[in-house]
Amino acid sequence: MKASIIGSGLGGLLTAAKLSKAGFEVDVFERLPFIGGRFANLPYKGFQLSTGALHMIPHGSRGPLAQMLSEVGANVKIIDSKPMAMIRKENDEIIDFGDFRNELPITKKVKLGTILAYSLKFKPESNISFRDWTLKYFDDDFLLRLADSFCGWALSLRAKDVPAREVLETIGNMYRYKGSGVPVGGCGAVTGALADIIRSNGGRLHTRSHVDRIIIEKEKAVGVSVNGKEKYADLVISNSGHAQTCKLYDCKDKDYLEKIKAVRPSKGIKICVSADEPLIGHSGVYFTPYTERINGINEVTHSDPNLAPAGKHLVMSHQAVISDDIRREIDLGLSDLKRMFPHKKYEILLVQSYSNGWPVNRAASGKDIGNRTPVSDLYIVGDGAKGKGGIEVEGVSLGVRNVVREIGIA
Amino acid sequence: MKVSMDCVGCGQCAAYCPYDAIMVFGRAVMNDKCIECGTCIDYCPISAISGD
Repeated sequence: MKASIIGSGLGGLLTAAKLSKAGFEVDVFERLPFIGGRFANLPYKGFQLSTGALHMIPHGSRGPLAQMLSEVGANVKIIDSKPMAMIRKENDEIIDFGDFRNELPITKKVKLGTILAYSLKFKPESNISFRDWTLKYFDDDFLLRLADSFCGWALSLRAKDVPAREVLETIGNMYRYKGSGVPVGGCGAVTGALADIIRSNGGRLHTRSHVDRIIIEKEKAVGVSVNGKEKYADLVISNSGHAQTCKLYDCKDKDYLEKIKAVRPSKGIKICVSADEPLIGHSGVYFTPYTERINGINEVTHSDPNLAPAGKHLVMSHQAVISDDIRREIDLGLSDLKRMFPHKKYEILLVQSYSNGWPVNRAASGKDIGNRTPVSDLYIVGDGAKGKGGIEVEGVSLGVRNVVREIGIA
Repeated sequence: MKVSMDCVGCGQCAAYCPYDAIMVFGRAVMNDKCIECGTCIDYCPISAISGD
């Protein structure tokens, strides 16, 4: 059995690793000169920056991605962050994420415990947003800000733009798997290890290989055209989202095309900083609910010092994009850093923004339409088709899990 | 080099530019160190850079 995979992002590579391990003859086609998509390292001025994700695996060594890496035999060391996350309060005091309830008056604290326990079990059926859901029970500025900070960091969305049930799935996963962790060697170590596995299973990775068409015969995907050459296969997996993929063939399913139109990508800004001394002092998440824009920061060099030149720290902030004026959004992020770390010595390395054709997530959380397409033997993986409640790459892994189950090899 | 409106500012071109000739701040802009080598064209994930 042959499988053609379009795109070498994390979803494409995980699927290729799974399929090649199950005996498929796998070809991965990547348009760019390097593999990894938005989960690759970006060497810059002696630092290992990243093409997308912040060198962080949301659920660390026990999450869905870690589990899948171990199943396929990919050799990646994930260092779980301790503390997992901290919160910077309005008075700039730092508290452990696990203790955020102590910030509430006792009545609200008890109510939150009850409501959260109930809602994690019985998730709201409606499309109520996480902000409205929070407001329904608590009129509390700290909680609303924390909700925005959490949703912005984890999903690149504001709490008002994501369904409560999706965030509750995410919180459920946090209790289930814990987190977060840093892969030693950064994002590129994960995608690199997967590439090694695919090759050792006899699979092939082709860079600078542009898929210009998916070949369909009798409503069934039978191959792809790469740089103008037809390659036949029994199965086609696309890592480039529903909207991009359906442009590669003549899609006539109106319901599906309508569904795709409703899918919105999420937008974000990452500020990469070189610091002579630690800004936050640990490799967990540093939630910042009292900024103008920045939702959270990490400093991964506490787990892997090799991601920066000797004696330096790599600090990365992330913010959801609120307005259409990207330059202003970036300026607000830079001012947040200035205000939070007025006496620290740091330098801005690179400001990276993600939207539209190269977004944070091709399908914003809660807008996923699954992994299937109207064509048989054609599936979508990656951040355009994540699993329920999966943060970023964890969602990508859950989506790949769905696809390999459907193909019948997991 | 010409950068189209599709550019989102991901910075990949800047990191791979051998001449440190690309500044990114919401979108990519080439400075006078650019010698039109075209490396950035290959590294743009959404084909937003062209030679003309």
